[in-house]
Amino acid sequence: MKAVRAGLVLSGAALVGYGGWLLWPQLPAAWTWLLAGPILHDVVVAPAVGIAGLALGRLIPDPARRAWVAAGLAISAVLILVGVPLLWRPQPAPINPGLHDRDYVRGLIVAVLAIWAGIFVSKVSRRLRHAGRPPGSTAPPTAPEA
Amino acid sequence: MRLRPPRPEDFRSPAHAPAVSARIGLWLGVAFTVCFLTGLLSHAAQHPPGWFTWPTRPVSLYRITQSAHVLSGVAAIPLLLAKLWSVYPRLFIRPPLRPPAAALAHAAERLSILVLLCAAFFELASGLFNAVQSYPWRFFFVETHYAVGWIAAGALVVHIGVKLSTASAGLAERPDPRRRAFLRIAWLSTGAVVLATAGNAVPWLSRVSVLAWRSPGGPQGLPVNRTAAAAGIRVPADWRLAVAWPGGTAHLTLSQLTALRQHTATLPIACVEGWSASASWTGVRVTDLLAAVGAPTDRAVRVSSLERSGLYATSLLPSAHATDPLTLLALRVNGQTLSPDHGYPCRIIAPSRPGVLQTKWVTRLEVLV
Repeated sequence: MKAVRAGLVLSGAALVGYGGWLLWPQLPAAWTWLLAGPILHDVVVAPAVGIAGLALGRLIPDPARRAWVAAGLAISAVLILVGVPLLWRPQPAPINPGLHDRDYVRGLIVAVLAIWAGIFVSKVSRRLRHAGRPPGSTAPPTAPEA
Repeated sequence: MRLRPPRPEDFRSPAHAPAVSARIGLWLGVAFTVCFLTGLLSHAAQHPPGWFTWPTRPVSLYRITQSAHVLSGVAAIPLLLAKLWSVYPRLFIRPPLRPPAAALAHAAERLSILVLLCAAFFELASGLFNAVQSYPWRFFFVETHYAVGWIAAGALVVHIGVKLSTASAGLAERPDPRRRAFLRIAWLSTGAVVLATAGNAVPWLSRVSVLAWRSPGGPQGLPVNRTAAAAGIRVPADWRLAVAWPGGTAHLTLSQLTALRQHTATLPIACVEGWSASASWTGVRVTDLLAAVGAPTDRAVRVSSLERSGLYATSLLPSAHATDPLTLLALRVNGQTLSPDHGYPCRIIAPSRPGVLQTKWVTRLEVLV
């Protein structure tokens, strides 16, 4: 086990070294992009997730309902995040027939509405299926909280 | 109430557990591995080293590998965010100050994770912007994305080496229902973004994929990546196709090309940006054309476009592609004469090639020595 781990660490370090050597000429232009990810994540994204989790915990005390709302929020947020480059497109190539010519705002709105409709339907159908059983007979999933 | 920096034990979400981190990490590792390997393949297809020949079969090979590259990268975005939320409390561990060996090991591990995260975020963000043809940077994308791919792969191997026993213990542990609910949200988010972009490559998902950069439209049933106007193309009235080989040159008019035996092949245009579209192409086989003018038919061929500038004004058909019976100098697509945006008067279409190498507005073929 120890030898395997040491082998992984050493060979991985060698690959990093090779990549670093390839990267060197581009580093003066690329370092801001390289550092931006971890900083934006640790200072903006993760705290926002934590605060959203805390707020959800206060607003929705029922853990089962909270899990559904958390799922809807997470999926919507990830879709919007992946949509940002399409909506923003700084310094773009021109829009051509068949490429980037959709209405992305409308598409995102429809997708997010569909997600929340799906969550509402799943929640209601689950409640109908469990109706009649004594409360607490199923283990409800719980939302992430900070 | 006094504010202080958080400590790991302040975080009480069920996401913060090795059973969760290990499971998401496993799938994130799968996504990164697929992305790295298909990325190497794409790089080799576009910048082939001397020992490498990109195969011509299956005809959709590049379509498959490049769709896998872009989709695994898209899938890695929610997986990376879920993984990082799972381990976020560890950011607030107070570093040990002694013994010095422990302090050093802690610092080295943090540094390796910083390198991994810089590289991972960079690859996903730059890859996504490049895929939607937006370039808000000053570095050269191909060189930098390729170099940082090696850094991400290496740093991931280091991370696996460091975390091997923690991860296997985490995988052996069965997550409780609250942790399973978090995992389910991570899988659902991943599925949602894959579905929202898979229509780039999968035609029947095109209407569902609201975030696909390729839309179902396009003239003659195909998207246009570069218009004739953008490329500054003006086809001269006396246009001839020049065919050159060591020992001779021939010139053919469009009607002479049309008079040669025509073949039809169904081949995809598959772009590095991860979108692809299949079409039915009709034209002259490159081998037939070379044989008709008396040029050798077993060599690599350099293809030049009417486009004067730009990285892809010329392309090289390796001998494997130049001799392939499916490689056409296409004059028609989907039953119609090529429109100016699709390469009128003629374009190269070869099986299993990156789209940028399927040169449009061809004006010259040169058989190499």
